[in-house]
Amino acid sequence: MSKIGVFICHCGENIAAKVDCTRLASALGDHPGVASSIEYKYFCSDPGQESVKKAIRDNNLTGVVVAACSPRMHEATFRKACAEAGLNPYMCEIANIREQCSWVHNDGEKATDKAIDIVRSMVEKVKRNNTLQPIEVPVTRRALVIGGGIAGIQAALDIANAGQEVVLVEREPSLGGHMAQLSETFPTLDCSQCIMTPRMVEAAQHPKIRLLTYAEIESVDGYIGNFQVKVRLKARYVNKSTCTGCGECITKCPSKKIASEFDCGIGRRTAIYTPFAQAVPNIPVIDKNNCTYFKNGKCKICVKSCPLDCIDFEMQDEFEDLEIGAIVVATGFQVQNNALYGEYGYGKYQDVINGLQFERLASASGPTAGKIQRPSDGKEPETVVFIQCAGSRDPSKGVKYCSKICCMYTAKHAMLYAHKVHGGKSRIFYMDIRAAGKGYDEFTRRAIEEDEAGYLRGRVSKVWLENGKLMVRGVDTLLGKPVEIAADMVVLATAMIAQPDAKEFAKTIGIGYDEYGFFNEAHLKLRPVESSTAGIYLAGACQSPKDIPDSVAQASASAAKVLALFSKEKLEREPVIAVNNESTCAGCWGCVLACPYDAIEKKDIKDRSGKVIKRVASVNPGLCQGCGTCVTFCRSNSIDLAGFTEKQIFAEVMGL
Amino acid sequence: MSIEQQYRTRAKELLSAGEVKMVIGYGAGTTAERRRPIFITSPDETERLVLDSACIANLSGYLVTEGLLSDEKRVAVFLRPEGIRALNVLAAEAQLDPLQVVIIGFDLPKGELKSLQGSSVDDFTDLLGALKESTPDVDGRELLEKIEKMSPEERFAFWQEEFSKCIKCYACRQACPMCYCRRCIVDSNQPQWVNTSSHTLGNFEWNIVRAFHLSGRCVECGNCDRACPVNIPLRLINRKMAQEVLDSFNHFAGTSKTQEPVLASFKKDDSETFIL
Repeated sequence: MSKIGVFICHCGENIAAKVDCTRLASALGDHPGVASSIEYKYFCSDPGQESVKKAIRDNNLTGVVVAACSPRMHEATFRKACAEAGLNPYMCEIANIREQCSWVHNDGEKATDKAIDIVRSMVEKVKRNNTLQPIEVPVTRRALVIGGGIAGIQAALDIANAGQEVVLVEREPSLGGHMAQLSETFPTLDCSQCIMTPRMVEAAQHPKIRLLTYAEIESVDGYIGNFQVKVRLKARYVNKSTCTGCGECITKCPSKKIASEFDCGIGRRTAIYTPFAQAVPNIPVIDKNNCTYFKNGKCKICVKSCPLDCIDFEMQDEFEDLEIGAIVVATGFQVQNNALYGEYGYGKYQDVINGLQFERLASASGPTAGKIQRPSDGKEPETVVFIQCAGSRDPSKGVKYCSKICCMYTAKHAMLYAHKVHGGKSRIFYMDIRAAGKGYDEFTRRAIEEDEAGYLRGRVSKVWLENGKLMVRGVDTLLGKPVEIAADMVVLATAMIAQPDAKEFAKTIGIGYDEYGFFNEAHLKLRPVESSTAGIYLAGACQSPKDIPDSVAQASASAAKVLALFSKEKLEREPVIAVNNESTCAGCWGCVLACPYDAIEKKDIKDRSGKVIKRVASVNPGLCQGCGTCVTFCRSNSIDLAGFTEKQIFAEVMGL
Repeated sequence: MSIEQQYRTRAKELLSAGEVKMVIGYGAGTTAERRRPIFITSPDETERLVLDSACIANLSGYLVTEGLLSDEKRVAVFLRPEGIRALNVLAAEAQLDPLQVVIIGFDLPKGELKSLQGSSVDDFTDLLGALKESTPDVDGRELLEKIEKMSPEERFAFWQEEFSKCIKCYACRQACPMCYCRRCIVDSNQPQWVNTSSHTLGNFEWNIVRAFHLSGRCVECGNCDRACPVNIPLRLINRKMAQEVLDSFNHFAGTSKTQEPVLASFKKDDSETFIL
């Protein structure tokens, strides 16, 4: 006979304001099999948990139902409390009467009736629960960090400094990411390269970090603690082990007019190149699409110029298989294509540029060596117009969200411009100045008050060329008047978007993503650095637009998660896994194909003489994630999910 | 020599040479229009085989009789193109090894007996591929078109009326080569998902479960339809599901012995956004 304890939480007023908890407790008290039904203001608090434990001991409860918030909030809390009172934790279930009841209903009477149904149905389930034991799986203590920008480097260094092995994979020829492209950084104006490059070197030289640049992830298999990752090492056509980075080949390469990706198309590079002078590793790659030899079969000047014979045109992509325990995804972002805004003239007028291009102009390592010059004629611009939200907060053409960093970098750009071009006039069109962050508002005030950044609250409707000037027509909504400004250069604060291949990549490694292609966290507030897949963590702007401090903080947080995982030799996993009934299994292998985790294998059943009499499906408990896809597929209903058996679900439904 | 006589000779040769241990074919039925399956194991009995326009039942289901193929010996079977497709589905679902099956193929276009060349499933790949592209010849097309034109409410009422006749004898399941499970979901009573009594809900549950379990697998041989003692037009449900699967996934059941089951396989280019 079941002795179920029902614990009805008021959640302060979250539940009690709508649901009559006293009526609920008394209704459940009369339900068959319920031995104790009590209510309390906060069951998740210490005295609340104590009362659950006391009720378990006093009544010898065989099962517990906590009627409270979502199981995602406190299932673990109450299961732990039950275990401490000697009850198998899987005999405890949560009935969600907050998100699924009190929060969404107005009529208290009906909400209470619904809450009674929800809790009753869960009591019926718990009556059929079985005790389950956690599954232990081994952990490979080696982390993979994908992306060598500031977030990836930070995560890799934090993990490596704690003594664990790291493989850092970057798809570009050098570490650095977007941060290496920046000039100065807000709100302190320290030089981005000066704080970035030493970290790049540190990561490259760290004895615990294995650096794979110009490499991409081909596939990810396995599960938390036990991933198998295949990496494609793209052919550099330069021998990594012998090249010293002398740069002779780069100097001699005749194809010199290729738009440099690193300089956002403002600067030029050669076909054999390193993205920038401080590249790590300082080993060039050959851009196959632009190399004269690859195009025409003639040239090989680099081969002749190389003193160490490092160039190898026959080089092929190589593959490497890695055993990995945890993955940090730090694949970063892209800037939106401004060509979306034809009215701003991007792509049509050379002097309409985006924020990242301005960074390259202002950077000492950039194509102008830090001088602010117009891309069209190299003249110093006397008036620069900055247009904020060129893509962000624009549901019709751009993206719905705020890109978060543009208010700050535009203020910074105005400041840098004021410092570099004395007497230059900056005009900034903005919607709001969003400067939340340590020292941020002070920074924007400084731009306005000390560096005379001229802020105009309003949008720009059109940019056109007239008598050599870029005419900017907009509106100053504070004055309520249209304005026209004759500018020498226009800088668009472009939206930060997900990498163009982010969704494809998410599918490859098996994590979720949102409508924009940013990767989904497991819980926005409580598990912001974990992806929805166990053992895969997120860092930086691949999750949502972030500035440098936030990216670094998240990278360190994900490193802490990885290190916590690596702190044990074995990993305990939830025993919610599929179980196959071998006597009814027809061996059609539909489940084997349907399983997204490759967790189902074929098993031979033999008679005493060793002859195979039947082949059935068999679930690998280490691989199974308990998603239930196989259960729904199985026609003969042979597969069941521990903790969510069909019997339990059926009882739950019939309890309504 | 008539096709019937040719095939009798072939069956005799296969058995005499020891190439197969059994020939599954058609024998005389209780009336001149009916044929019943016969299982010949001796070369002397091959004269009992009958082949004419009344041989419409799909015999492939007998191949998955428990233990029949477990000795790894071969069995010959008379199959129409639908039967060959069924054999492919059974092979794809690992229910038999197609190398153990010798096909004695024939077809009945417009009731005219025609022999098919080949003996192994792979010999019929082109034929089955062409079948996928052709318009299926459905018995009762007018009724199907009528049902398609109905409003959802009318259609529901139509099927409710049809299913009300169901007596849950499960003859459709017994006749179907795809219903090979050792325990059918309707026989599972812990919990009892499908109501076993023959009332509206139970009848609906059974017939809908059946339609879903056959989608992407049914080869439209018509065995179920002919077996139904109360004449529910089961072929129309199967036809509808087969068309849906073809339109949505370009899947035609039984074109090859390694075909992936449509409802269990996922592709990255599937239209559903939730597929990771």
